[in-house]
Amino acid sequence: MTDTARILIVDDEEIVLDSCTEILRGEAYQLATAADGQRGLALVREFHPDLVVVDLKMPGISGFELLERIRDADPTIVAIVITGYATVSSAVEAMKRGAYDFLPKPFTPDEFRLIIRRAVEKRSLVLETIALRRERELLREHFAAIVSHELKAPLAAVQQNLFALERELVSVASEDQRGRLARAKTRVGDLLQLIDTWRRGVSIDIDAIKTQCAAVSLRVPIEKAVESVLVHATRKAVEVVTAVPDPAPLVWGDQGTLAEALVNVIGNAVKYSRVGGRVDVTAEALDGEVRIAVADAGVGIAPEDLPLIFDAFYTVQPGAAGERGSGLGLAVSRRIVEAHGGSITVRSTPGKGSTFVITLPALGDDGPGGPGGPRHGAEPLAASAKEGRT
Amino acid sequence: MTEPKRLLIVDDDPDFVAGIKAILDAAEYATDVAYNPKDGFAALKARRYDLLLLDIMMGRGAEGVMMARKIRKDPALRDLPVLIITGIREQIAFLFPGQAVHPHFVPLDELLEKPVEPELLLEKVGALLQAAEARRQKV
Repeated sequence: MTDTARILIVDDEEIVLDSCTEILRGEAYQLATAADGQRGLALVREFHPDLVVVDLKMPGISGFELLERIRDADPTIVAIVITGYATVSSAVEAMKRGAYDFLPKPFTPDEFRLIIRRAVEKRSLVLETIALRRERELLREHFAAIVSHELKAPLAAVQQNLFALERELVSVASEDQRGRLARAKTRVGDLLQLIDTWRRGVSIDIDAIKTQCAAVSLRVPIEKAVESVLVHATRKAVEVVTAVPDPAPLVWGDQGTLAEALVNVIGNAVKYSRVGGRVDVTAEALDGEVRIAVADAGVGIAPEDLPLIFDAFYTVQPGAAGERGSGLGLAVSRRIVEAHGGSITVRSTPGKGSTFVITLPALGDDGPGGPGGPRHGAEPLAASAKEGRT
Repeated sequence: MTEPKRLLIVDDDPDFVAGIKAILDAAEYATDVAYNPKDGFAALKARRYDLLLLDIMMGRGAEGVMMARKIRKDPALRDLPVLIITGIREQIAFLFPGQAVHPHFVPLDELLEKPVEPELLLEKVGALLQAAEARRQKV
């Protein structure tokens, strides 16, 4: 409501229209009147009222029908119904259907002014709520962009110069200086990655995932995910062994986000593995479901942490190696998996390791040999069909 | 030895430019810099470049995209290889809904994410220059 409230009064009795107009004269409202529903409806479109005052009992389009059509045209318009004493029950009915208030005939000028004032207040609240909601949506949508640009840009500039300096100083810097430069580079790199993860946690758009869905062979996201954690795995001498049946199970999903969900889970498995350990990534199709198990023999998760690890911003106490997560990776994974109609579970023994299982609905019949093909029913973790990634 | 290849960097972040220019200069490229698309376009018109390194998110939005489109429409510049260097890959997807994550703004381009590892930067620059050279010889 930019300036003055616009009020439309629809009543078949001219005297009511006239007296209402008279009562509101001198107040800061813009008025329009209509003698029947048809004309009223036309004015809703032309006049764009903030409020409508509708007589329930009119020839032609009934007050009820008019209310309904107004709601269809613009559900934010605040409606007041005028009714004779005999039809108070229908006024209640109108309110049940979304009218804001009712005014029984005959009414005094003060009653009318009061109800209009309250309805105008209601209207500005409605508009304010809508504006705030829109603002919140926009903020959420733009959050990714804002965070990316405002936080990442300076860090990227710093990192780019560290990259350059490292090369330029390679022959003149002492070993200690080179070491500190490398540490600085690592810390900035970690920070950049953290921002990425947080941004994903906030901005992941489940509806967008759904519109991008296609038939995906699980081999693709699994291989992509393993590939992207390989650097960390190699650094810790952790062997990542994948076992995907051939043909690989199909799911209906978005390849990119599925890979992301897996990166978080497999990355965690590597992170909490001991040096020289092993992570098994196993896919199988079973009873119309596809299961991806990610098992490590690492530090495991304390029972009290187990129910919370999929919550956003929850991180377990750093372990002996000081490993600590962003607190969002698994939360993001869960959102992605759930957007695909699946679930993610974990079982863990402290000191022995953890196994995360992602279950997704299988896509139809994936060819001869039944779901999952040859590896149907095989022991999940004793990977036989090694695909030998290290 | 032949003339060094001449590169133009268009990016509104002087510190980032300094980091990237140092790497390219050390690799004996001749690099010029423009800190906004307008100056960048003027530079492209003023002399011949072998490669453009273009930032996407400049100024008040994706001004780099506008510049890339302008280049694509310009017959004199259409064959200029462009290396897009951007802060956010997903934002590109957001700007070009329904397209592959790497939309080809201009016929000959590559995309890298900020910050860029020096080896990767030099590799992409080298590859784009070489491809452009090969195309020229074919014609």
